Amino acid sequence: MGLTIPHLHLLLNHVPTVGSVAAVGLLLLALVRRNDDLLRASFELMFVVALATLPVYLTGVAAGTAIEELEGVSAEAIRTHETAALLAFVWMQITGFFAWLALWQSRRLPKLPRATLGTVVLLSVITLALMGRAATIGGEIRHPEILATPGAVTVGAPTGWLQSTVIADFVTQYPWVWPAAEALHFLGLCLVLGVLLAVNLRILGAMKALSFASLHRLLPWGMLGFALNLTTGMLFFIAAASQYTENIAFLWKVIFLGLAGAHFLYLTVFSRTWGMNVGAEAAPLDKLVAAGGLGAWVGVIYWGRMLPFIGNAF
Amino acid sequence: MMALLSWLEATGFSTWVREGETIWAFPTILTLHTFGMGLLVGANAVIDLRLLGIGRRLPLAPLRALFPVMWGGFWLNLVTGSMLFAADATKRGTDPLYYTKLVFVAIGVAVIVALRRRVFDAAENPGVDGGSGKMLAAVSLATWTMAATTGRLLAYVS
Repeated sequence: MGLTIPHLHLLLNHVPTVGSVAAVGLLLLALVRRNDDLLRASFELMFVVALATLPVYLTGVAAGTAIEELEGVSAEAIRTHETAALLAFVWMQITGFFAWLALWQSRRLPKLPRATLGTVVLLSVITLALMGRAATIGGEIRHPEILATPGAVTVGAPTGWLQSTVIADFVTQYPWVWPAAEALHFLGLCLVLGVLLAVNLRILGAMKALSFASLHRLLPWGMLGFALNLTTGMLFFIAAASQYTENIAFLWKVIFLGLAGAHFLYLTVFSRTWGMNVGAEAAPLDKLVAAGGLGAWVGVIYWGRMLPFIGNAF
Repeated sequence: MMALLSWLEATGFSTWVREGETIWAFPTILTLHTFGMGLLVGANAVIDLRLLGIGRRLPLAPLRALFPVMWGGFWLNLVTGSMLFAADATKRGTDPLYYTKLVFVAIGVAVIVALRRRVFDAAENPGVDGGSGKMLAAVSLATWTMAATTGRLLAYVS
């Protein structure tokens, strides 16, 4: 038995939809009950769902390639689903970012600013709708039984600039786009690594004259680097998907990215590290987690750099 | 000059780095070079951002601990960078972009030394820094951004 990438897509593809429903439900419940713990839990869930959406999109592209030649499968339906999924993916990432910002602010401020809360509520509802739409269109690719009229699909052909073919054309049409995006990707890497080095080295025992809270202030800069790299990274993936979907190094990179993202959430919200005052020594378990977090980034960078050598990327 | 570059490129070591069909040759050296960049430019960015006013309540003096991280990255990249240069000496040694990168690295190193002396070592209480700290931080951030960018773009010159 071998688990193929298309199979992985089928396993993962309910996470963004069901996860968004759960997160939005939790969020609304928290607002009705005026419960801050519940509210933070909904933000955490939103962030995790956004993180989990990345492999759903990536495996989806591989799944589309694998079945588009099959009889009875409409290549147009796949493309329509892919475009709807890309739109939902972008909104999901923006929602995940604001959910993270809300968590970061709730740690630092006595009260979460209403503007942040309102933004997360609005974005998460939009994302939920778009994710439901993408999932519905996805279902129509292989499930003729759900269509009212056999052969009819509910959504027409995609238009606009936010589609993989348009983005791929943009990246490959101009010779400067790929190198420029690579340069930004490396600057983003420096920013993420620099911030996480400072924060994790403190937990590991360096710079004890700093409280954890003072370094926690830097986390948005790490997030900025990550956002830069998610954006440029998606440009590479969309422009040359096959060199990543069939690349073992890329699979490892995404796995380590998931671990690194979970660790970033831990640094943002966990109380044990947050409470480390000037001079405080971290517990051995927290040191282990800090070392593991840095290790995850080493994994991300190592497998990223090895994409053309162990894998087949150019 | 060209004869020297050709000799360097033809040595057994350079040939191994360039053509060795093992993960330990070019791929690993380039990966280590990437890690060195991350350590040097990343740790430097944290210090620069702090000096430019991000997280003002973050005491400056303890960030001294990031200097060994930067120097570690620098020496790692001096060694791995020299290896990568040797492997493609005739190409790199005649490429203006390569020398542009070296100039940025040289300025960047000088600025790090200046940051250490003027901002971290000079003041009794480095938390109170004057205008020179901000200026140096801005130059440092810009210079290392350019060094990393020109370095990355070397992959795209033929």
